[in-house]
Amino acid sequence: MTPSAAPSITNPYTLSSARGQDDTGIVTAVRRLAPLMASGRTRLVVAFIATIVSSIAGLLAPVIIGRAVDISIRNRDLSGVLRSAGLLLLAYLAGLVATYVQTLQMGKVGRYVLFNLRNALFTKLQQLPVAFFNQNKAGDLISRINNDTDKLNQFFSQALVQLAGNVFLMIGAAIFLVSLHVRLGVAALLPALVVLLLTRATGGWVKRRNRASLQALGALSGEIQESTSNFRVILAFNRVDYFKQQFDAANTQNYQAAIRAGLASNSFIPVYGLAFNLAQLVVLAYGFVLIGGGQATVGLLIGFLLYVNSFYFPLRQMAVIWSSLQLAMASLDRISEVLALEPNMPQLPPDASTPSSDAVLAFERVQFHYPGGTDVLREATFTLERGKTYALVGPTGGGKTTTASLMARLYDPTGGRVLLDGRDIRTYTPADRARRIGFILQEPFLFTGTLLDNLVYGHEELLAMSRDEVAARLTERNLLSLLSRFEQGLDTKVTATGEGVSLGQKQIVAFVRAVLRDPEILVLDEATANIDTVTEQLLEQILRELPASTTKVVIAHRLNTIENADEIFFINGGEITRAGSMANALDLLLHGKRDS
Amino acid sequence: MAIVGLTIAANALNLAVPRIMARAIDGFASDRLVSGTLVAEFLAVAIGIFAFTWLQNIAQVFASERVARDLRTKLVAKLATQNLAYIQRVSTATLLTNLTSDVDAVKLFVSQAVGSMVSSIFLIIGASILLLSINWKLGLGVIAVLPIIGVTFAVVLGRVRKLFTQVQQAVDRLNKVINESILGAALIRLLNSQHHEYDKFIAANTDARNISLGILRLFASLIPIIMFCTNLATLMILTLGGRFVIGGSMSIGEFTAFNSYLAILIFPVIVIGFMSNIMAQASASYLRIGAVLGATTPKDPGTTIANLRGDVALDHVTVAFGDKIALKDVSIAVKAGSNTAIIGPTAAGKTQLLYLLTGLLAPTSGRVEYDGRNLDDYDKTTLHQQVGFVFQDATMFNLTLRENIAFSKTVKDEDLEKAIVTAELKEFVDRLPEKLDTMVSERGTSLSGGQKQRIMLARALALNPRVLLLDDFTARVDATTERKILDNVHRNYPGLTLISVTQKIAPVEDYDQIVVLMEGEVLAAGTHHHLLETCPEYVQIYDSQRSTQHYEPVHAE
Repeated sequence: MTPSAAPSITNPYTLSSARGQDDTGIVTAVRRLAPLMASGRTRLVVAFIATIVSSIAGLLAPVIIGRAVDISIRNRDLSGVLRSAGLLLLAYLAGLVATYVQTLQMGKVGRYVLFNLRNALFTKLQQLPVAFFNQNKAGDLISRINNDTDKLNQFFSQALVQLAGNVFLMIGAAIFLVSLHVRLGVAALLPALVVLLLTRATGGWVKRRNRASLQALGALSGEIQESTSNFRVILAFNRVDYFKQQFDAANTQNYQAAIRAGLASNSFIPVYGLAFNLAQLVVLAYGFVLIGGGQATVGLLIGFLLYVNSFYFPLRQMAVIWSSLQLAMASLDRISEVLALEPNMPQLPPDASTPSSDAVLAFERVQFHYPGGTDVLREATFTLERGKTYALVGPTGGGKTTTASLMARLYDPTGGRVLLDGRDIRTYTPADRARRIGFILQEPFLFTGTLLDNLVYGHEELLAMSRDEVAARLTERNLLSLLSRFEQGLDTKVTATGEGVSLGQKQIVAFVRAVLRDPEILVLDEATANIDTVTEQLLEQILRELPASTTKVVIAHRLNTIENADEIFFINGGEITRAGSMANALDLLLHGKRDS
Repeated sequence: MAIVGLTIAANALNLAVPRIMARAIDGFASDRLVSGTLVAEFLAVAIGIFAFTWLQNIAQVFASERVARDLRTKLVAKLATQNLAYIQRVSTATLLTNLTSDVDAVKLFVSQAVGSMVSSIFLIIGASILLLSINWKLGLGVIAVLPIIGVTFAVVLGRVRKLFTQVQQAVDRLNKVINESILGAALIRLLNSQHHEYDKFIAANTDARNISLGILRLFASLIPIIMFCTNLATLMILTLGGRFVIGGSMSIGEFTAFNSYLAILIFPVIVIGFMSNIMAQASASYLRIGAVLGATTPKDPGTTIANLRGDVALDHVTVAFGDKIALKDVSIAVKAGSNTAIIGPTAAGKTQLLYLLTGLLAPTSGRVEYDGRNLDDYDKTTLHQQVGFVFQDATMFNLTLRENIAFSKTVKDEDLEKAIVTAELKEFVDRLPEKLDTMVSERGTSLSGGQKQRIMLARALALNPRVLLLDDFTARVDATTERKILDNVHRNYPGLTLISVTQKIAPVEDYDQIVVLMEGEVLAAGTHHHLLETCPEYVQIYDSQRSTQHYEPVHAE
């Protein structure tokens, strides 16, 4: 898929597999990485100073040794040798401290980049609407948050230290080389220049291959996530072979992509070594010529060869760092992709509010379709009055859940408006909306924790209460008895995957969680479908005892639920029709054109 | 092994370079001419190093990726033999870490550490020998620093491994929080509780950060100490070597070579320092992978391959999770071709009962039988092809609709077609632009609850099963569709043994047997009329549904 492919319009939350920058120049890299390091500026400065100190110490060592050889040893001056040794020890001690400081500080920068990036990614995920999650695999998102950020961390804490140190060492060594002997120095540096140009020319290619490899890892991660969380279905249908087959396909794809990336990254590393050896040869041969011409000494040549070492060792490490940088940039692409997504459901500025007396919720010519899908609602207009009970009926797939979702702004209409208390629902803050609207989802969800954690989840007031106070409030609302089905009452441990808790029990928790929060509007989307009918009567009793001002919207297939409604809406084929009477609703259900 | 060979070859050549240079310098110093052969020799060595290193790198890429792929394949093959209880206990979050970052750590070890370790150790030994051969006294002095370095390594690595295990556990927790925040995305948005998820995430992330900072501190001290130790060796060369040269027992060329070999010695020691990080991480990860690979698998699978008649029986079955008893001494007999309903309050153990019948759950005591034979005796593949299970909550895979229903490439087209028609999905499928090849998203979010439920049914029916287990199947399907579907099932799959967990009595009134299950025990069993007369709890359930009764005539139309 090309970056400019059309789906970005219909699917705003599709994470492309080909986007990203191909410019891999070091300047671009620094520019993109700089903001990540902003919080660690002091650390970077300290680390950089430490790097300079340790590099100077490292560069001084050959000078001291060279001088010791040329002056002291040649002149058979042992005390001079010892003086040089003393200086060398000082340089090494400085190097010891500086390397410690440098490694620690750069490592910290890496860890904090990792920490901050993960937080930023997670925060972004929390800002994105439900539609985003419909389109992206959990496993791939987890891979982006965990694996891709870690690649960046590895680069920062390991490679960047070396990068800074090596660049400094190389520049230092290069200056020494040229200043010791201009022509010999330039000759020694020539092979390096060729290699650097070659690397620069191929950087984009290396990065693209790394990116493809990361993408494949994300897909693999998605496959694992999907299979292991649905393992019971795989077992019950004896599709373990299918599971293996699916996995093998993803695994093989990942393998191939990784091989391609690995070959691209690793092919250049030996070239750096070759450059080193060639430089040695050039210096040696040219050096002899120069010595022959009386323009250099053997001592100079030995020192020169040491500096060639000092220049090319870091250069060889740069080869490894370079591929690590390409991997980091590819990871950054995948991370930036998520960070660049803008939630397309902003809060609008308050409009001229016309708070009406009774209409608590209204649809004004509401249109809706899912990305790339056909219309679920066409010009739907209706009003819900405060304190009444409404039933939404219709065939499966007719649009009941979608209609309910629009009431709670899980999605925005593609046309028209939803009004809450006379104001466009888009002008409310999320907190305000959450306080007013209670919604029991078709598929109940429990977070890992205790039952109590799940009931008070995300509600400031309830969270501030003691266990007993919550229990008292539950009793007050006749909700506590519902929880008797849990072995250890409020302290029963539950998990998100829900082992040991039945679907009916989860629905009870979701019901209690919603009712406990005193919403103005309570939407029940097949909220009691898997609860036994005796318990269901209890729930209905509780619903009847809610304050008279509570508006209830019920989606259910059971007739008794519909029967208790003040008004029935029939939803099918994009239309919402007022059914009038119960009998009419049934008639529509039975004889109306099924649209699913 | 190829890697080791190539590594050694490349490094042996590397070691030759200073020798050639020493010869050149000494030769030049003694006024002999530098011949073209020396240049040729040097070039040959350089090209040799390049070729061997290149091949070594390529071999490393292949080796490490193969190791990663094979480890994953092995892990998955092992998981495939595990039962549900194991997967749930270990959790998706941990398995995901095992299969991604743990495998990655091992891979990194193979791709970077193995080669570098081998070449480093080779270089250290080689350089040591050469040092000794040039001047054994000086050589010994230099080599004396190696044990100090070794001890430092051992101490630090011992402490760091535990921390790495902790880091991976912290990553497991991160996975879990992210996973829940994605699965519960809709709820979180409805409750506007994003900041609570963020708090949970921050806590896990802070944990991971703090542990890795602990690791960092250890490594930050390790590397400089090692470098310092090797530097002390250089110092020794300068002082002692200087003395030897002054004393005349060593030539200047030898002294230079000595320094060059030391440079060769220092580099691998530092490399080992950096690699030790990767090594420690890999060994912690490998332990975690080993735990999965070494986990006990369920006892020997059965081997009986038989065409089921369809008799199903539970014989004094008890299921307990720890001291919590889910099912207590349950005995139910179902005749081939008959219809049985299981009814009872929420959390009575109805779903567990169906899990028992599919072998997803093993009884703590008692027997589960098909045609009078213990379920354990059957070959699972053939058994599962004959027992269809429709789960209560819909599970969709990120596959095409066809694959979601057939869920296997062995399902015949006509069976698929029959299943789709029976589940009343024909109209729905035909209206999709890409029909059966439409992609279904992971959480099936583009489908309504009822559609998913019917896809689940079609998935079970596509097997052409002898026994069909329905778990609260009709909860999300409207009454009309429900009736149609059940009629279709009876018509298209004659002789099918049907066991249906349900909340609604009306659709099952004419069933051969209704079992009332309460708090894990069978309270009563019999026909609808028998239960109405003998079982007060059944009557209570029946009464709770009576309010809907007078609409039934409209219904049955």
